[in-house]
Amino acid sequence: MMIASICFLLWSDPGSVLSQMLDASAQSLQLAIQLCAVYAVWLGILELVEASGLSEKLARLLRPFIKKVFAVKDPVTEKLIAMNISANMLGLGNASTPLAIKAMKQMDTGSPVASTPMIMLIVINATSIQLLPSTVIGLRQTAGSTSPADIILPTLLTTICTTILAIMLVKLCAKIFERRKKN
Amino acid sequence: MSAYILPLLFVFIFVYAHFKKVNCYDTFIKGAKKSIPLVVDIFPYITAIMIAVALLRSSGITAILADLTAPIFNLLGIPTELIELVLLRPFTGSGSYALLNDVLLTYGADSYISRCACVILGCSETIFYVTTIYMSQTKVKKLLYAIPVALVCSTVGSILACLLCRIM
Repeated sequence: MMIASICFLLWSDPGSVLSQMLDASAQSLQLAIQLCAVYAVWLGILELVEASGLSEKLARLLRPFIKKVFAVKDPVTEKLIAMNISANMLGLGNASTPLAIKAMKQMDTGSPVASTPMIMLIVINATSIQLLPSTVIGLRQTAGSTSPADIILPTLLTTICTTILAIMLVKLCAKIFERRKKN
Repeated sequence: MSAYILPLLFVFIFVYAHFKKVNCYDTFIKGAKKSIPLVVDIFPYITAIMIAVALLRSSGITAILADLTAPIFNLLGIPTELIELVLLRPFTGSGSYALLNDVLLTYGADSYISRCACVILGCSETIFYVTTIYMSQTKVKKLLYAIPVALVCSTVGSILACLLCRIM
């Protein structure tokens, strides 16, 4: 992609290549510093959420829902999935990833084809219900928004809808694949 | 109304943590400290994406691509200005934050375009990256319909995001 655009520029405006690259790099440093400030606040708050046991409480609330959607038998896997989803809901991306990896490992049977609960976990993580889109709010605040939090509601609604859609689609596809296997 | 959500939430978290006998100050510091290594980790990716995007833009390739795909996106109600963001999102997390920031600064943080961009980013995920990492410790090679379903859902999410931002 980069090579293609450099070639394109060589033909139209070769003098601008390096200056464009350096400009972009300077901008990225500025963005990184802004992000650092945003992360410092949120990671501090989220550390409190974790240490006080609030995230575990959310995970416990999610257990019945997970039992129904994933239909996994193993209680350890169930707990890992609950913790993964609740971490995702709170925007704790870094905490949720290792949990998902562990859950996948638990569900691994050695077969090269992904099982339905595995696929469900991937898809639900992709649409993940967002209670707190923390980084986005932070960047919006930095960019001078007057009410950076007013995206919480539309984000929540959108993610609820897409998560429901995701669950239905996975269940549907799972049924189609099973039928095909039988035939 | 929405201005109260975050402050109230913060107060609740601090009070709750205090009652649970968590040392608020030390815990906050512990979390905040993690921000520096995190940014150091993602900085090179942000730089690479921003350089690539700058070059793509000045070469005119994105304009051509946007022109070509604009009819499809407009049909779905996604503004032309957000095509780059929607297309890049499944591949790179930090890169899409770079693009979001660009949108925020270009169109103003409270504009319709910016709000759409925020919601789109909030409701989507770097699908390809996350899937690779999740499956890294298993023997699974075939993901069947996982990626297509995830992509369909996040596209529907983007459409819904633009629709909701128009109403709300």
